[in-house]
Amino acid sequence: MTTAKKPSVSTTRVLEWVLDHAMILIIILLGIYTAIRTNGGFVKLPNIINLLKLTAARLPMALGVAGCIVLAGTDLSGGRMVGLAGFIAAIIIGAISGEAAPIIAILAVMAAGIAIGFINGFCMGKFKLHPFIVTLATQLMIYGLYLTVSNSKQIAVSSFANQPMFYISGQPVPWYVLLAIIITVVMWFVWNKTTFGKNMFAVGSNEEAARVSGVNVLFTIIFVFMLAGALYGYTGFIEACRIGNSSATLGLSYENDAISAVVIGGVSFVGGTGKISGVILGVFMMQLIMTAMTFLGISGGVAYIIKGAVILVACILDMRKYMTKK
Amino acid sequence: MKKLLALVLAMSMLLGAVALADGNALVSWYTFGDVYLTSVRTALDEAFAAKGITVTDKDSNAIQTTQTDDINTAVLIGTNALVINLVESGSISVAQSLLDVAKGANLPAVFFNRAVSQDDAEAKAMFEGYEKSAFIGTNFEEAGKMQGDMIGAYVLENYDAIDLNGDGVISYVMFKGDDANQEAIARTKYGVENADAVLTAAGKPALKFYDDNNANKYLVDLNGTWSNTASYEYMGTILSQYNESNGNMIELVIANNDDMAIGAINYLKTVGYNDGKGKTIPVFGVDAVDAAKAAIDAGEMAGTIKQDAVGMADAVATITANLIEGKDKFEGLNENYRVVDGWFVQIPYAMYTGE
Repeated sequence: MTTAKKPSVSTTRVLEWVLDHAMILIIILLGIYTAIRTNGGFVKLPNIINLLKLTAARLPMALGVAGCIVLAGTDLSGGRMVGLAGFIAAIIIGAISGEAAPIIAILAVMAAGIAIGFINGFCMGKFKLHPFIVTLATQLMIYGLYLTVSNSKQIAVSSFANQPMFYISGQPVPWYVLLAIIITVVMWFVWNKTTFGKNMFAVGSNEEAARVSGVNVLFTIIFVFMLAGALYGYTGFIEACRIGNSSATLGLSYENDAISAVVIGGVSFVGGTGKISGVILGVFMMQLIMTAMTFLGISGGVAYIIKGAVILVACILDMRKYMTKK
Repeated sequence: MKKLLALVLAMSMLLGAVALADGNALVSWYTFGDVYLTSVRTALDEAFAAKGITVTDKDSNAIQTTQTDDINTAVLIGTNALVINLVESGSISVAQSLLDVAKGANLPAVFFNRAVSQDDAEAKAMFEGYEKSAFIGTNFEEAGKMQGDMIGAYVLENYDAIDLNGDGVISYVMFKGDDANQEAIARTKYGVENADAVLTAAGKPALKFYDDNNANKYLVDLNGTWSNTASYEYMGTILSQYNESNGNMIELVIANNDDMAIGAINYLKTVGYNDGKGKTIPVFGVDAVDAAKAAIDAGEMAGTIKQDAVGMADAVATITANLIEGKDKFEGLNENYRVVDGWFVQIPYAMYTGE
């Protein structure tokens, strides 16, 4: 009997290993498949840099919303915040000339994001409202504010952020890639090396336990949302510069993409779990899939089905890990 | 005495309110977030103000139920006219239900910009069912056809310059705004078909979609918002594979609207094209928004199709005012607008390739 069981044990182990590393395996297989179908074009330097740029543009926002999800919450206000921040950045860059303009713009949009993040976090922490509702409400107000002040005007934007920082065999790598790396390092430090980071995970896994052990829960929640707001503001600046103008559709449904990417990366809605490396992986994977579909000529209805299926499968795989741990 | 005074005051306020409401129109918009519609809104507010009609602009935010609720509420409050930029474009049953609301309250119902049906006969039957109604729009297929004609002529004239790899065929990419929108579908179809007709008539091969694997022959904004973000990111992805060093550079960009055209141009700029001085890939849009006109004037963009926002607003305001005052529907209407079958006022498109 024991001899009969042995192979089944090792099969289970292999299966377990495959399921535990499913996301990475899917990324690799998809990469190989697309590369073969496109005569290697998918894994050549130009597309690698393209993927790097797309990931760098979307990563800061995902890092912001990831904190909210670690708190077992969410944040729907991000997309509209990006739109408003893009507009503010466009106005500032248009009004001030000189080297300092983009710096002032970044600081201004981050300040605006922090202010809105404070409102989000305060309402959630102080009045015990679910962040879904709070941010559903604030995103409407942010969009309303945007429409009121901008009258849906398009404004052209250009700044150093989108300019090439250096070239890799003729391929320009823009400055915002460096900024994304800096932000990621800072966020890694905040999550892993600060008391605030530890408190964030404590509040996310068990708010009451955290409170009893002396964590300032209200402050933690507010600070997580302020941090997220700052990153949305930054994303608005980058997106306006990257796309080249600010318009009403800027940022629309970015929050959905960011939340999807974060969840794909293993930050659980259960709260209290998540890693910066997971967020990076999730954003990268999302961009990889979207890019692969363009390469493979998949558009229209099928593209939505694939995107949805990836999110669902990722969540199932993630939940499976959580259940086995329990 | 005080009571009497209060009563008199209340009565006069009521009368005042009624007097004010004499020229009051609800304008229910598909979305405030659209650049072209915003230009119509600005023009329409002015056009109504010039006719002494007070306007309430409502944003449906692309949700049909919001629009329906707003219209029902406006009827209850006592508006004098319903001016409707239908959310569910192409859905005759939704349009009919809104028309019935107007009919029930004996109010003018003026639809504009977004078509009520793909089938003109169906739309005609609906509008003929109620005298105080009209549709002001464009022939929604005309923009795509005109864009295609413009592209055909432009490509023919500059064929060798556009054909970067000298293979005798022009490869293009098409950016579609929304998979479910009738105008987007028509523009995607005719933008290429009409261009091909011009080219083949002159003995040149038809345009070729850059990617043979893509049977749809377009790339669509998956959020359905016709956004420059979508076209910008697509451009980045496809140019990593299709470029001059690989000898298969995209030689022509066609977009359903100017926003997407500008997104494509902004990416092209990052890789050294379309800066108005050096190498330029011809990019075509539709709408003639300010940003596109500026890009065309700077030599970064090849052309666009002008939707006449001011003309649209003028026609809507004129017809609404006529209906409120009980005059003939089309009295005093600008002669450049075609009136089709007594219900449909067509605002013509125009090509824009710079001033």
